[in-house]
Order: sequence, then structure tokens, then C-alpha cells
Amino acid sequence: MIELHQVSKTYRMKGIRKVIFEGLDFKFEHGRNIAVMGPNGAGKSTLLRLLSGAEMPDEGRIVRNVRVSWPLGFSGGFNGSMTGLENVRFVSRIYGEDTERIIDYVEEFSELGKSMNLPIRTYSSGMKARLAFGLSMAIDFDCYLIDEITAVGDANFKKKSKAALKHKLDHARIIMVSHSKETLRSYCDCGILLADGKLHYFDDVERLLEGYKALFG
Amino acid sequence: MKKILITQLRILGALMLRETRATFGTSQLGYLWAIITPALGVAVFVAVFGAAGRRPPFGASLALFFATGMLTLEFYKKLSAALMTTFNANKALLTYPSIKETDTLFARSMLISATYLVIMILFFGMLILLGQAALPRHPDQLALAFAMVCLLGTGMGILNAVMLSVWESWQYVESILTRPLIIISGVFYIPSKLPTAAVDILKWNPVLHLIEWIRTGYYSNYASTVLDKNYLIWFALLSLLFGLTGERLTRRRRAGQ
Repeated sequence: MIELHQVSKTYRMKGIRKVIFEGLDFKFEHGRNIAVMGPNGAGKSTLLRLLSGAEMPDEGRIVRNVRVSWPLGFSGGFNGSMTGLENVRFVSRIYGEDTERIIDYVEEFSELGKSMNLPIRTYSSGMKARLAFGLSMAIDFDCYLIDEITAVGDANFKKKSKAALKHKLDHARIIMVSHSKETLRSYCDCGILLADGKLHYFDDVERLLEGYKALFG
Repeated sequence: MKKILITQLRILGALMLRETRATFGTSQLGYLWAIITPALGVAVFVAVFGAAGRRPPFGASLALFFATGMLTLEFYKKLSAALMTTFNANKALLTYPSIKETDTLFARSMLISATYLVIMILFFGMLILLGQAALPRHPDQLALAFAMVCLLGTGMGILNAVMLSVWESWQYVESILTRPLIIISGVFYIPSKLPTAAVDILKWNPVLHLIEWIRTGYYSNYASTVLDKNYLIWFALLSLLFGLTGERLTRRRRAGQ
């Protein structure tokens, strides 16, 4: 379960202030797969970054008592001068996982072969995404954050990552940002709509899609 | 509570290993150089002053006197300078919510302290083997003095990091402000033998007290009239307090950058 208490977030850049959220209160119930919809710039990705802890609110508190992943496929947490293997080892130590088990899983899943022993900065963006995806599948998170991306890599790898994610959903829950109705329908069972800094909750995905359509066409 | 403590230790351990890799590079040679460089620095000074016929200001060994001063100063400067850039170097780590910025500061401080512990043991050990020095006479005082260097260096380093995050030019200002330290900290002379007028000014410099304490611990009868342990302890604790308070107050600001 993740709780937002009076969360406010404003971005300031070159004298321009953009209020994203103000006094947001919400409880993300565990046991539900939650869709996040909203027009561009409504703060969907900001919300995910706040939930993951990568960013802090200006005011208010975010209480997490489950293990929340970084946004799926996000590789910004890697250190470019360290090898893939060293990065994997570091992250599994941070999460207190069995390092060897994680390494075996990631090596097998991400199919990077000998590149695992090369610094990450030599990787293509696809390779980085595969490593990050494999790593988030190897660690048992309670809640996965998904920002549009449910799979990475080429067609074959996409199939494999989709299967891995589906398998994870036996135990874990997701919070997913997407514009695709099909994706939301197949993964989520309730959702929230972000508009004008407000958060509207829908107990059913179909109602969410209707609500979105009514507001933004 | 126990679980939190274990998690905390695990994170510090993982960060230290990562720092080791980032600081010293892939090869064992990198770590070797990190140890050799400060030692070589002292050796060069000793060689130059020795060739010039300078007699040791205290004790029988020029090398021991300079080493107690220079290695202490280098250790302090390394801590206060390396911690300054921690926030920028570790931005990516905020992807993992269990790591806080204070963890990255403490991990770096612990790694540097461990490295300097090795440097000092090796250097003084070598001097002892070469007959240039005796074993330290007051190991307890030496250990306390070493801990004070960690404390003061970490406190000032965190203050530097906070200053840098609110004012980018701080890096240059700090380097100018701390440049005179090599002259005003008693590295090459005995502060107790200076005129009172000079001591009255120099005694405000906490690094001078660090070096005086280290020497008091190493020599049997250094008998410093300048060393004020209470002043140093208060200075170090306050720097740590202000540093950590500053970190807390500017945390949101950094997260929004």
C-alpha cells in the first residue's frame, strides 16, 4: 500500500512555475492493479517518480510499506563506468537479495552474454533497457511501476518480457501509465484520472476510460 | 529496529564497494596508487628538506615529524574535498528509494577513512622498520585523534556539499580559502614554540589542533601548550550538526533540480 498525504509538487525552471500537484491525498490499495490516465503534462510520470521515491514532493508525505520498483525498463539508476555485472551486484546488495541468484537470472534473461563484463556506457539503449528489465524481474517487488513500457527489445524479447511480467502479476501488483485502452484493459482493474492537478478515482477500468473520453474526447 | 540497522549496514556496505570501484578504477593498481601518492608526497618533502640540511623540529626524525603533519592534513583535506562533490556524483542512486543522500556521504567518508588508516599504518610501519621512528607512545590518544580527523573532515565535507548544492562557485572559493592550511596548521613547525601573538591567531584553526593531537599521541613527550581538545571536539560536532541540518533543509531543493 502506498499513501499520499497532502502531496504538492511544483517545478521551477528559468523563472517559470508549473504546479503539478497541490495537496494530493490518495491511498493506493494493495491488491489492485491501478491504471493512471491523463492528458500530456498532467503529471503522470511525475506521479510515478514520486511513488518510486526517485523524486521528493515539495510538501507532504508519501508512505510506502511495500517494495516499489523503479519504472520498468528505466536504466537511469545504472553507473556508466561500472560493468553490467557490477551494477546488478550493487542493486541486489541494496535490496538484500541473494546476489548469485539475481546474477544468474539476469544473465539468462537479458541475453547480454559477454557484454555483462563491459561498462554500461558501451551499451546501446536497447541493451540497457534489457538489463534494467531483467533486473526488475529478478528482484521480487510488491509493486511494479510501469510508464508506457510493458516490454523492451526486439519482437522476440518483447514476447519474453511480457510473459515474465504476466508471471510476476501472480504475486505483485502494478501501477501503470498508458494511453492504450487495450493495454489498460488487459492489465488493470481500477484506475485514476489526473486532470488539472486533481486526482479522480474509478473503481473499474471501463468507467475510467469513459471518464477520460468524456473529458478529453 | 534491528532490521532497520541491518538494512542500513547493508546499504553502506554496498555503497562503499561501489565507491571503491568508482574511485580506484578496475585494477588493483588504482588502489595501490591511492595509497602510494600521499606517501610519496611526504617522501619528496623529507628528501628536499633533508638535502637542505634542515634538522627535525622535534624528535630525531624529520620524516616522522613531517608525516604526522602532512598525512593528517592530507586526510582532512581529502575528506572535506571528496564529500563536497558527493551529491552530484550520486544523483542516479535516488532511483533506489532505500538509499538516502546521507548514506552516500557516510559511505564515502568511511571509505576515505579506511584508506587513510591503511596509508598511515603502512607509512609509519615503514618508518619503524627503517629505524626512523619508534612505536607510537600513546596509541589510545592516536586513535582518538584519528577519529577526530574523521569527524571534523566529515562535518566540513558535508557542509561543503551543502554549500556547493546551493552555490556552484563554492568549489573554487573553498579551494582558495583552505589553501593556507599547509602553512597555518603546524605541519613544518612546533606551534608551542611560536610567539604568543601568533598562537593567539593560529589556535582558531581546528586543523592545527588535529595535528597537535596526532603528535601528542605519537611522541612520548610532545607536550603541546596549544592543543585544546575541547575546542576541537566542539568545532567538529558543530560542523557535523550544521552540515546535517543544512543537508536536511536543502534536500527538497536538490530533489527538485
